[in-house]
Amino acid sequence: MGQTGEVTTTDGPRELTVGMGAGGLATADMVLNIGPQHPATHGVLRLRIVVDGERIITAEPVVGYMHRGAEKLFEVRDYRQIIVLANRHDWLSAFANELGVVLGVEQMLGLEVPERAVWARTLLAELNRVLNHLMFLGSYPLELGAITPIFYAFREREELQAVMEEASGGRMHYMFNRVGGLKEDLPAGWLDRVTHAVRAVRGRLPDLEALISGNEILEARTRGIGLLSPEAVAAYGVSGPIARASGVDMDLRRDAPYLAYPELFAPGGPGRVVTRTAGDCLARLEVLLEQVHVSLDLADACVERMRSLPQGPVNVRLPKVLKVPEGDLYTATENPLGFNGYYLVSRGEKTPWRLKLRSASFNNIGVLRELLPGALISDMVAILGSTFFVVGDIDK
Amino acid sequence: MSPAVEVLVRTVAVLAAFLVLPLLVGQTEHKVMAHMQGRLGPMYAGGFHGWAQLVADGVKFAQKEDVTPAAADRPVFRLAPAVGLVPYLVALAAVPLSPGLVGADAPASAVLVLAATAVGILGTLMAGWASANKYSLLGAMRAAAQLLSYELPLVLAVASVCLAAGSLSLTAIAGAWSPWWLLWQLPGAFVFLVAAVAELQRPPFDMPVADSELVFGAYTEYTGLRFAFFLLAEYAGIVLMSLLFAVLYLGGWKGPLSGDLGWLWTLLKGFVVSVLVIWMRVAWPRLREDQLQRLAWLGLVPLALLQLALTGVWVVATA
Amino acid sequence: MATVDLPLPRLGVGAETAPRPIKVVLNWGRRYSLWVFNFGLACCAIEFIAASMARHDFIRLGVIPFAPGPRQADLMVVSGTVTDKMAPAVRRLYDQMPEPKYVISFGACSNSGGPYWDSYCVTKGVDTVVPVDVYVPGCPPRPEALLQGIIKLQEKIASESLSSKGMRAKYGGHRAATAAEVTRPLVAPPTREVVGG
Repeated sequence: MGQTGEVTTTDGPRELTVGMGAGGLATADMVLNIGPQHPATHGVLRLRIVVDGERIITAEPVVGYMHRGAEKLFEVRDYRQIIVLANRHDWLSAFANELGVVLGVEQMLGLEVPERAVWARTLLAELNRVLNHLMFLGSYPLELGAITPIFYAFREREELQAVMEEASGGRMHYMFNRVGGLKEDLPAGWLDRVTHAVRAVRGRLPDLEALISGNEILEARTRGIGLLSPEAVAAYGVSGPIARASGVDMDLRRDAPYLAYPELFAPGGPGRVVTRTAGDCLARLEVLLEQVHVSLDLADACVERMRSLPQGPVNVRLPKVLKVPEGDLYTATENPLGFNGYYLVSRGEKTPWRLKLRSASFNNIGVLRELLPGALISDMVAILGSTFFVVGDIDK
Repeated sequence: MSPAVEVLVRTVAVLAAFLVLPLLVGQTEHKVMAHMQGRLGPMYAGGFHGWAQLVADGVKFAQKEDVTPAAADRPVFRLAPAVGLVPYLVALAAVPLSPGLVGADAPASAVLVLAATAVGILGTLMAGWASANKYSLLGAMRAAAQLLSYELPLVLAVASVCLAAGSLSLTAIAGAWSPWWLLWQLPGAFVFLVAAVAELQRPPFDMPVADSELVFGAYTEYTGLRFAFFLLAEYAGIVLMSLLFAVLYLGGWKGPLSGDLGWLWTLLKGFVVSVLVIWMRVAWPRLREDQLQRLAWLGLVPLALLQLALTGVWVVATA
Repeated sequence: MATVDLPLPRLGVGAETAPRPIKVVLNWGRRYSLWVFNFGLACCAIEFIAASMARHDFIRLGVIPFAPGPRQADLMVVSGTVTDKMAPAVRRLYDQMPEPKYVISFGACSNSGGPYWDSYCVTKGVDTVVPVDVYVPGCPPRPEALLQGIIKLQEKIASESLSSKGMRAKYGGHRAATAAEVTRPLVAPPTREVVGG
């Protein structure tokens, strides 16, 4: 709203002719501006849509309101400082964002990361995934008019944030990854508290699920709405839960494993890739719900494994001035919202020459152009919410 | 008491009820909703459990700048809140709390109440049209569409009760009520409740205001007291519909010790219905406008007609 | 760009005619009824939401987060990075709020640009665009910090003496905005050919 919406009084053609009913009345399409500040765009996405009554004829996402120039700033930060900015583009998956940077730098340096750190990273990444999904499981019903689920979701988020904070010191931006490992070892007794928190969250999750997946109205609003075909997924480079809800069975944790995922996603392991074939809003929501369960299982498995690991270092000593050898490398990780890639080009300096960011949400909202035409304005809210985007991840 | 004084007393009493009861419902909504969501709700305004939150809201709204958008249709824009509010005041005056306690005992009060509440929607339409805002316009159009879907089932459901009681007076209807009606008029009661919630534009039928889609719909451009009037109209509507439900379907003042405390029974039953309306807001998402139409024409109208037929047959058979 | 004169703010009837003792009551009303409009821009918006949830719950303080638009709001919380592209919208929405209105700048980015202090496209603090009453530091600040900021604002409101005269003085007797901030031509439809429909 705000920026938008008003029928204005300036000169120029007034193309808005409103007519009720069909037949003799001349009608015209109305251009409606959604955003950049609108409750449904959670953040500052802007959509320019043309509507006939309430039916959308064309839709165009207008991005860039949140562009903070992170990629350019990467070039004047050294490899330790980059992490600060890297974890902020998708503010719901800060830990996963950090990972991509450090994994790439470590690979270019040829560093061997201690096993303890690998498992701890995996654990924290999965907890981060749960945090991210819980946010959307709360905010999506909110956009459809159900105000209560978000309160349930945040109760679980606070539970998990408490353990994340105990380890890293941050509630959202953890800054816990370092090139070569983690900032410091995990606190004593922390693993027990993780187990406890995971158990508590898993125990209360049915409350949230009953409000979401057990609700007829929510189902009526989402089933068959916003159908996304596997072809469109491929054409637009959609990834993550949205792609998997359209039956595209693709998950980097299994397909191009990093961290401890080869073991977790091995046959018989707790990891599995959640897919649906319907491709509608409901399927996307269901994928998210089930992924929470999978991630909680993975977290449990990581905790178990970490208990059996011997004490030892969680990072490696680095030189004071960290220079990455000349070369380039693309590192992709499975962020909660989809593929998150960093293309790092180094010229042997202490700062990258270029660090290109491939973020999941940017591609995911591109497909809105395909999804929105033909839908109603109410459906637009349902579709927009179900593309699970973070505006910072779109605009970088 | 001379007639003039009586009119004055009645007017003041109705006005007081009109100002106090919606605030009570509003405060209940704050607290009930909060506790259902694991929160506390307002705690500081007024000291004890934030009892004065809505008073503070009122005091604040009275101080706000009164903005009329430059492009708005000025007189219509400024008149709309009154059009939205006054009908509920008129309607509330005709709802009896007990046989002797009614603001204005009209002979056909059921018709009067339904007619008056139907006018209230005009305020929303005026507001949406006059705001010169596309979102407001969409909200108003949704409100108009919604009007079509709930008005008929509402009238049919009330007609059934009137038929059963053999009167159009609310006092007489509640007088004729017996516990057997709870079962006999159940479909009608259900239709009435659903249609009433749709008329009030409360979740799950709050598409015309839809804060996450249309940013408050027709009320988008309203500030200060004018906005507060719309809010008051919403809660006065809840009060009215709840009391109406209590009188029509729950026997109004009938209950143990109903001799002197009958009015308390009516209020109590109405309060329970209000809590139910609040509960719906906490529990459910919002339907789509076309889904409401579908529900109304394929569900509510046939059900109401069925109820009407059932009532008619029974009344003729037992007459 | 051409500027447009906006009408100078006028308080509602209640505040204008009230005698002095009533002003205490008026201040009390404003203090405990802060309908908040969340200008959620970035990471901080999540912590703002966390502050409205059950654990921290600023609704206790009378901060009601049910105002989706600026017209009904008394308090604007700017949470997150204000970019140069977004800044006009922030200003515009601020102008759409009715007086008396308050602004909390939540987080390092909206205070000063934060970690994006050397970015080419980030506004270095929202106070370059709108007047700010309370700054909450942190990146992002904890929800508790927002609660403290709200309490600070409430203390400020309680000791305020409000009058249309004073409010107009704040604008220097002249409230103007660029034409683009108050109104703008109808948005052209997307140029792309019609898809589906």
